Amino acid sequence: MTNSAYQKIRNIVGPTGVVEKKLDQEKYLTEWRGYWRGSCDLIVRPNSVDDVSSIVKICNNQSIPITPQSGNTGLVGGGVPSGGIILSLDRMDKILNVNVSNSTLTCESGTILKNVQTAADSVDRIFPLSLASEESCLIGGNLATNAGGVHVVRYGNIRDLVVGLEVVLPNGKIWNGLRSLKKDNTGYDLKHLFIGSEGTLGIITRCILKLFPKPQQISTAFVAAKSIEKIIKLFLKFSKFAGETLSVFEYMNSLSVEIATNSIKGNRYPFSAFYPNFVLVELTSSNQNNELALTMESILSDAIADGTILNAVLAKSIEQRSNFWRIRETIPEAQNFKGASIKNDISVPISNVQKFIEEADQATSQIVPNIRHISFGHIGDGNIHYNLSQPTNMEKNTYLEKRNVLVEKINTIVQKLEGSFSAEHGIGLLKKNELTRYRSNEEVELMKMLKKMLDPSDIMNPGKLL
Amino acid sequence: MKILVAVKRVVDYNVKVRVNLEGTAVETNNVKMSMNPFDEIAVEEGVRLKESGKCDELVAVSIGTSSSQETIRTALAMGADRGILVETDDPIEPLGVAKLLKVICSREKPDIVIVGKQAIDDDANQTGQMLAALLDWPQGTFASRINIENTKAQVTREVDVGLETIEINLPAVISTDLRLNEPRYASLPNIMKAKKKPIDIIPITELNIDIAPRVKVIKVSEPPKREAGVIVENVKELLEKLRNEAKVIS
Ligand SMILES: Cc1cc2nc3c(=O)[nH]c(=O)nc-3n(C[C@H](O)[C@H](O)[C@H](O)COP(=O)(O)OP(=O)(O)OC[C@H]3O[C@@H](n4cnc5c(N)ncnc54)[C@H](O)[C@@H]3O)c2cc1C
Repeated sequence: MTNSAYQKIRNIVGPTGVVEKKLDQEKYLTEWRGYWRGSCDLIVRPNSVDDVSSIVKICNNQSIPITPQSGNTGLVGGGVPSGGIILSLDRMDKILNVNVSNSTLTCESGTILKNVQTAADSVDRIFPLSLASEESCLIGGNLATNAGGVHVVRYGNIRDLVVGLEVVLPNGKIWNGLRSLKKDNTGYDLKHLFIGSEGTLGIITRCILKLFPKPQQISTAFVAAKSIEKIIKLFLKFSKFAGETLSVFEYMNSLSVEIATNSIKGNRYPFSAFYPNFVLVELTSSNQNNELALTMESILSDAIADGTILNAVLAKSIEQRSNFWRIRETIPEAQNFKGASIKNDISVPISNVQKFIEEADQATSQIVPNIRHISFGHIGDGNIHYNLSQPTNMEKNTYLEKRNVLVEKINTIVQKLEGSFSAEHGIGLLKKNELTRYRSNEEVELMKMLKKMLDPSDIMNPGKLL
Repeated sequence: MKILVAVKRVVDYNVKVRVNLEGTAVETNNVKMSMNPFDEIAVEEGVRLKESGKCDELVAVSIGTSSSQETIRTALAMGADRGILVETDDPIEPLGVAKLLKVICSREKPDIVIVGKQAIDDDANQTGQMLAALLDWPQGTFASRINIENTKAQVTREVDVGLETIEINLPAVISTDLRLNEPRYASLPNIMKAKKKPIDIIPITELNIDIAPRVKVIKVSEPPKREAGVIVENVKELLEKLRNEAKVIS
């Protein structure tokens, strides 16, 4: 980029709005796991929508690539720059309005997800989006990736939690769609175009989010079952008899529970016998009638009686509840102790989950004998984190050489079962090839047309997604 | 051998408590309540003694409102055989609780009473000791290990200088410390079984015990907010601040 563009942008944001110390630049340039390291000419941190707009106008005029960045916790390399500028939203972190009558919260897109949750809590409401990265990811990053998490089964992805959006378009103009309306059929619903667009169509600057009543009762159970088939059956029972109170339904296979309870200090296996599959189930209700535990007990005892499940333990205190949760949440960390792993974030229709796991387990074991299947995740959404750890006796690199073969095999099975090769984490740099491979030409062409129309000079996060 | 365990319903350990508007007590409306953690340990110990064949009957006793039945059910789901609730809507002080437990002991004739060393709501740490005195039984407090042999109990206690093991004759009162055991979770089959186990409900008035409070609470208040710390540049500045601002050295 030219020196004059550099100076112009620097003048807009002032000296505190640019990151010039080498040491401070690191966290913007490196992907947090160290998979990628980008480079760029300038890292800029504007603190108003108008500044974002002015910067984008300059970049558009001079064809300077912009990599929008929020918390940089993304898992597919979407925030890794190659030249141009990083435009970080991390200074735009103001919560502008919490409206209890409308049940909405308006904030700038650089607000940390955790702070949105806390602000909702302070008025006895919740913002239900919840991810393990919630203390570092920013709401704009969540919107740009259409983040999911553990409460999707009840509340949906963030796409379902937004009523209004403001976006700075690639030409620098500001589209203000900040309307807190439940009903608004006035043409194309533009906000959905930007949600999940991974920074390729514009920069999300403000949003209006939906709030929900705060649960007054929580009932949590750790359940053991014989097979995936039974777990799906249990899911249908809960959907039917617990209805909208079903808030969490998280699957864990025996190996994932085993590694989490063996290698993470403080975790304890909740049963005294071995079981092959588990789910963490949570019901919540804003009603104060104290009947939720009874609902949980009656569904589970029915499920034991008809052979759907083998056993279950119920949390009788907040501590027991967090013990159950900790097992689920520490699986990824525990996996780090088991050598190299190849991670897949896939989804299939619920009715195909069982087939997927059976076929994928078999196919991957054929490619790498003694491969270790660590599968867990949001089974209530048909979304499995299908992770493969290396066999104990294999060289790390020999195993990683099999990566492409394994991933391709898994994606072929996913495709056959009408699923998605990327359920939550997006495309970014990591899954571009898969997009053209597993989605139809028409679909990809349509995406390219939209991109070209909104961003003819290709300055918004070029090289990502498409 | 018969064992009695006392269980109390308290505000859950992980709830951040708030003082009520009148400043007279902690707010308990719409607050998650659970079994006192030390009592969970007491129940677990009783259940283990049952499983090892040393105890024939395990009875869980609670003194409190009708909701305390839920706490007794949890004890039953962990493995206790039956429950007794002395029902009252008033808060009872440790001396009152000890007197009531004494009456229950005279009816039930247990060989051992296991209680938590303290309840996390009032942190009194008195009930077990008072009960032992009223019954004139030996006591083994703050147990981190219990070994029962015939008519004696060896109790390992955590004391300032390390571990102390004492031997006491039964019947006796034992109070539990944190490291005695790790309580089990209530499994669904056991929760369902527990629903069929009997709970005997005794209205407190029936026992004719003087439970009038001896202690008057004058005021309940939140601890003062801690002020944010400062980072000092060097030792000299630290000493200067300790001397002139904090005035803790001269
Ligand atoms: C431990 C851990 C657990 C996770 N769990 C989940 C999970 O359960 N579910 C899930 O969905 N994800 C999960 N993720 C992935 C990640 O946290 C999400 O993708 C998150 O939504 C990204 O937010 P961020 O603020 O870090 O965005 P970044 O990583 O900074 O950016 C992500 C993408 O969005 C673009 N972008 C960022 N901000 C804007 C903006 N304001 N306007 C336009 N484009 C923008 C970037 O260019 C990039 O392409 C997890 C990640 C970690 C590290």
